[in-house]
Amino acid sequence: MASALRGAILGHVRVPIRTLDRSRSLSCLQTSIRSMSSHGDDHLTREEVVDRVLDVVKSFPKVDPAKVTPDVHFQADLGLDSLDNVEIVMALEEEFKLEIPDKEADQIISCPLAIEYIAAHPMAS
Amino acid sequence: MSTLAALKMVKVPPNSASVEEARKRTLEFFKLACRSLPSVMEIYNLDDVVTVSHLRSSISSQIRKNAHIANPKVIDLLLFKATEELSNIVTHSKQRHHVIGQYVLGQEGLTQDMGAKDQGISEFLKQFYTSNYF
Repeated sequence: MASALRGAILGHVRVPIRTLDRSRSLSCLQTSIRSMSSHGDDHLTREEVVDRVLDVVKSFPKVDPAKVTPDVHFQADLGLDSLDNVEIVMALEEEFKLEIPDKEADQIISCPLAIEYIAAHPMAS
Repeated sequence: MSTLAALKMVKVPPNSASVEEARKRTLEFFKLACRSLPSVMEIYNLDDVVTVSHLRSSISSQIRKNAHIANPKVIDLLLFKATEELSNIVTHSKQRHHVIGQYVLGQEGLTQDMGAKDQGISEFLKQFYTSNYF
């Protein structure tokens, strides 16, 4: 009962909001530029994505590293089957610390598609 | 990880209607297994013994051994056994030597003599048992 009373009282009490007087304070403290923040650094460059994707594909045991180019098709050019394709996608997930949903993983069937997907993914690292 | 926990509640899913659906479920199982590999490596301290890609390849080769089967019910049963095995491994019901023997060394490594003892010894010692004169 005391708690209900307290609730009712708190619902009616209003604390006045005091706005800061912005015009007086130093304007350089109010800007939104954070010069020492490293927030935007974790986007990968495209060539780094290409290099790492090619490394992952080349180190796959069934793949001949000499045949791997940035526009190679996994099943057509490298002679892999669908299970190998899934395995390569899982290896890419591990390398870039992503989790690729099933629908999109089914469409990653060649190197350029993989590079496109990873370069466009915001969480790739 | 939540799907992993859900699948470990060993419920029997209904039979697949066709080989195509069974194939999709196999690939889903494979993905689930691959995603649980980092935790397996940590549970059994396999960092010095094997890499994640080696384990992935051994899982895929075991799946490929049964790739020729056309009956969806048989495939479902194989998937059930595989899920059971995966849940045993992830919940640490198996031990390190089981995992190393079955997935790192494989059947050949367990049954045949890989010659691990003879790695660094000299020619003299290798022929010691056969004859004195060479």
